[in-house]
Amino acid sequence: MNLKEIKDLIELVNDKGFAEFEIERQGFRLRISRFKESGPQTMQPAPAPIIISSAIPGAPEVLSKAAQQGLIEAQVSSSGLGVASDSERIVAAAQPELHIIKSPIVGTFYSAPSPDSEPFVRVGDSIEQDSVVCIIEAMKLMNEIQAEVSGEVARIYIENGQPVEYGQSLFGIRLVSKEREAGD
Amino acid sequence: MFKKVLIANRGEIATRIIWACRELGVRTVAVHSEADRDSLHVRFADESICIGPPPSAKSYLNIPAVISAAEITNVDAIHPGYGFLAENAYFAEVCEACNIKFIGPNSATIQLMGDKAEARVAMKAAGIPITPGFEGVIEDEEEAARVAASIGYPVIIKATAGGGGRGMRIVHDRAALLAALPAAQQEAQLAFSNPAVYIEKYIETARHIEIQILGDQHGNLIHLGERECSIQRRHQKLIEESPSPALTPEIRRKMGELAVHACREIGYVNAGTMEFLLDQDNNFYFMEMNTRIQVEHPVTEFVTNTDLVREQILIAAGERLEFDQDDIVFGGHAIECRINAESPITHIPSPGLITAMNLPGGPGVRVDTAAYPGWVVPPHYDSLIAKLIVHHRTRDMAIARMQRALEAYIVEGIETSVALHQRILAEPDFVAGNLSTRFMERFRKTHADDKAEPQQAAQGAGE
Repeated sequence: MNLKEIKDLIELVNDKGFAEFEIERQGFRLRISRFKESGPQTMQPAPAPIIISSAIPGAPEVLSKAAQQGLIEAQVSSSGLGVASDSERIVAAAQPELHIIKSPIVGTFYSAPSPDSEPFVRVGDSIEQDSVVCIIEAMKLMNEIQAEVSGEVARIYIENGQPVEYGQSLFGIRLVSKEREAGD
Repeated sequence: MFKKVLIANRGEIATRIIWACRELGVRTVAVHSEADRDSLHVRFADESICIGPPPSAKSYLNIPAVISAAEITNVDAIHPGYGFLAENAYFAEVCEACNIKFIGPNSATIQLMGDKAEARVAMKAAGIPITPGFEGVIEDEEEAARVAASIGYPVIIKATAGGGGRGMRIVHDRAALLAALPAAQQEAQLAFSNPAVYIEKYIETARHIEIQILGDQHGNLIHLGERECSIQRRHQKLIEESPSPALTPEIRRKMGELAVHACREIGYVNAGTMEFLLDQDNNFYFMEMNTRIQVEHPVTEFVTNTDLVREQILIAAGERLEFDQDDIVFGGHAIECRINAESPITHIPSPGLITAMNLPGGPGVRVDTAAYPGWVVPPHYDSLIAKLIVHHRTRDMAIARMQRALEAYIVEGIETSVALHQRILAEPDFVAGNLSTRFMERFRKTHADDKAEPQQAAQGAGE
């Protein structure tokens, strides 16, 4: 698949209003998702941007072209950073084995109990159902958010101090369950 | 002037507020539930924030969520629209405490006029005629019966904390009163979390006439004439118009002056509407005051050539009213039809996907809507999807204009009340201007056998 084909596919997704489009061919997978979550700094203005995640070399150029058309620029970040870009977020959301912890309220996300403390969780940490994973501040009240699942922190989608809306993805958790362990 | 305003509402009024903000160069923040992600107001706002799941209680009525959204987007003011938190005195108070300007009157005024029984007392003190009734909340059956007997049947039981027909019962004798009282109280408790009711004389044949008020923070107060809203089904307005066919310039002047005087007494600021009942002898009685912008405000805007939402924002920002009473000139006749997503016969709500839409245009036609082809009307909220307003030189011409606009108002995929409006406007009593709050009751009896006919749009190969 070449860059022109990718561009055509982007347009197709946009024009037809597809929610998601995925193609797998010759060892790579391209997924195009219509996505409406906010970026790191600002709330996204309408219309809904399209996020593209792919493992194709040269994709960033195509993606920045797409950004010029008002679509969001998505980059596949290298693994190990822990703090995901928009594309990683979509990929993670599309991966069925990750449970997404979403924000139950509107407010400001804080990753640590106080500015000079260690963060509540890091990528790779094991968590339990009642583990506090973050604080969301709303109207001067600090709300501790509990995981409500147990497992391993696989992804963190939000930066410290970022405003979050209701339902926004915060963490991707690889769930630990008896069935999985038995099946591995 | 504000830099940024958050709109704590949805649907057509949210888009209406965005238009006014745009024209003033004010940035807008839309808050929405998960069900309204693809709403028109979300698409047109400069920023948008999801504040909760579909149920209103968890989203549009969720004060912490709305305030939190206001804080993280750093807005200067919140416009509450109508319904939802618009007349919630506590919400206005929270805004005041958080240093966010609430676009409307202050919380004390909202509190006073929001308590219907208290409002009657305050208006009586200001010299406004009120319907004969009991000034205060009914404590028990005995008191209810005594009060009703002294007023004289028929009487109406009303919820002190609300409106829209809930907690309301009309009763013609003592037995009916005692039976209806607990039901009314229960309904009030469910709808407004307050079972308190009061009793008024029920005026059998009355017209619903309301006066539009504007007041700035510098003590300037004016009225912008009346709207007649007698066409109501279960106390929900269907059609509104201005001027009222029943009012003479003399009555208009008297009602307007009294309304302004009363507002001055209570220190009213921003937009508001005083509702009256006009009986067959042209006596008028105060019913209640709505301390917000109303659904039918476009009718007044057409007749007085004003932009009321714009005025609300300017007033809240501390500006002086740019017109005084003499500047308000009434011209022509305006009519509004509230288009609901429902069956025109059974009134059963009709949510769902709008597959096609055509809106009327041409001279003197205005459509306020948040609907668009491809939009799914959500089932979680009220069924109003659009307001169709027309204006012309005379009432007859306005009716004719509304008829041709309704014919061209096409929505496919869901049912709408358009056919009902067409029939109402064709009704001889409507054309003659013989309106009262019993109009729809009589209309239903006359039209009990109607089927849902398709509206007579231009057929096939027309030019």
